[in-house]
Amino acid sequence: MALPDASGDVLSEMDVDAFRRLFPLRFFETHLVKSTRPDGRSLAEARETSSALGAVASADGSALVKIGSTRMLAAIKMEVMTPSKESPDEGCIAIDFHMPPICSPTVRPGRPAEAAPVVSKQLSDTILRQVKCLSCCSFCGMINLKELSLISGKAAWMAYLDIYCLDADGALFDAALLSAVAAFSHLQIPVVSMNDDGKVVVLSGDHGGKEPVNKGKRKLTLSSIPLSLTCLLHKNYILADPTAEEESVMETLVTVVLDSSGQLVSLYKPGGPVLAYTSAIQDCVALTRQRARELQTILDEVTSGMEVD
Amino acid sequence: MAGKGGATPSTYSPSPTTQKTKSLSFGNDEVLRPDDREWHQCRPAFFQIGVVAAAAGSAYADFGSTKVIVSVFGPRESKKAMMYSDIGRLNCNVSYTNFATPVRGQAYDLGSDHKEFSSMLHKALEGATILETFPKTTVDVFALVLESGGSDLPVVISCASLALADAGIMMYDLVTSVSVSCLGKNLVLDPTLEEESYQDGSLILTCMPSRDEVTQLTITGEWSTPKINEGMKICTDACSKFSQIMKSCLKGLDSALEEEDSNVD
Repeated sequence: MALPDASGDVLSEMDVDAFRRLFPLRFFETHLVKSTRPDGRSLAEARETSSALGAVASADGSALVKIGSTRMLAAIKMEVMTPSKESPDEGCIAIDFHMPPICSPTVRPGRPAEAAPVVSKQLSDTILRQVKCLSCCSFCGMINLKELSLISGKAAWMAYLDIYCLDADGALFDAALLSAVAAFSHLQIPVVSMNDDGKVVVLSGDHGGKEPVNKGKRKLTLSSIPLSLTCLLHKNYILADPTAEEESVMETLVTVVLDSSGQLVSLYKPGGPVLAYTSAIQDCVALTRQRARELQTILDEVTSGMEVD
Repeated sequence: MAGKGGATPSTYSPSPTTQKTKSLSFGNDEVLRPDDREWHQCRPAFFQIGVVAAAAGSAYADFGSTKVIVSVFGPRESKKAMMYSDIGRLNCNVSYTNFATPVRGQAYDLGSDHKEFSSMLHKALEGATILETFPKTTVDVFALVLESGGSDLPVVISCASLALADAGIMMYDLVTSVSVSCLGKNLVLDPTLEEESYQDGSLILTCMPSRDEVTQLTITGEWSTPKINEGMKICTDACSKFSQIMKSCLKGLDSALEEEDSNVD
């Protein structure tokens, strides 16, 4: 059997599959030369993206996000804590990213995926770092932690955000960040009051004579929403929104996070065999800028759908 | 109070904990169940296959507020530490998301893995899978409970057998499972989390309906012999109806919502 160097027209369907498995890099390169990818996308094109809010009934805010076949389920549960002495009028956000064994053949039970803590850290950095920099100016983060305060020095909200990857097919960080943002936009803070034991409890239906402590503070103000795009560098090519297969064959990833005003929040290039020139990085940022607008429209659509209900 | 920096502060859920005081009057015949079902009626069941692209086979099941995803991987190489074996192995794992239960992370004390359910799932499927068809290799069956709304294990088992079928693993028959709770003098089919918390006893029947064979039967709590007979009858009836829904899901006929009710005369 001759290797399909010249042209692919004599190859049967089976041979293409075998070629893809045996010579994955050459398989991809034959596509890249023609400025296309095996799934029919152009190099700069991201996969179809959709989002649905309120997927988890038992949570206070939740979202399901799909980018291609990558799926993320994010849910927020609100609990009450005693704020620390240093910041008595601030709440807290705990972010956790999970890759359960169902999501990928490489994850086995009892052995957490290597990628999970990395994505978890990146998410916390992206969502919380903004908040911390507010000491310099008035306020410039995504979430103002002061909005999570209930009774100064006594009680504040702890928002537990858990993101589960249900299907891992590349660009995990992008999908996780989008699901986190969508879950925060869906979050409805329960109305609570202080009971006789000094505990904060949810008020049900009629207020039962109790005065709610957080009247009218049901939603968080989300300013400057971070949105991201992961690009894959291979030779001189830049592939936006790679699939798991593309990530495994060509290993250099660049993730750019921009906020709503188009400012750079973070940029990750965790090594990889390709050393990027500044121009490549600038191209990635430009692609992200374009993608952020797309994502913003998707987010606006789902959240406006929610307000109609 | 501990106000040390760095350490995560202890938190509590503001939602009222399940109060045993507002006991439901389950002894009363006229009273319907909290979700207006008949005693011997299942929740609306929904199945879908092929939900996880990364897996060889997968299924999603949705029974009221109980939501489960099962992925099947393999047959693939067994772990090196395993002994040589002429027949294949099934490796099962059941875990819960942190938000599955009404109060976060309350699912189980030992992390998110549910060891007991993992082993029960393995035993429920082992007898139905033709292990001889994949010698020396392992088939991994991983389940994630997205939301726990009662009858979790039976839903996981039914969903897992559908995922195995989707992966093309040879089985003697689909495995379906359903549970019955004993509440006072009533038998309650497919109980919710709330009903399970009041139950006097529970019966989980797992069977292969076309072959009329039981792969697993778990009875706990207080049961009289006639009650067990009645419970088994309700369960086998419901199992055969579920297998119809699961078969039509596999054939791709209708993945629409199906109402299931099995009234016993």
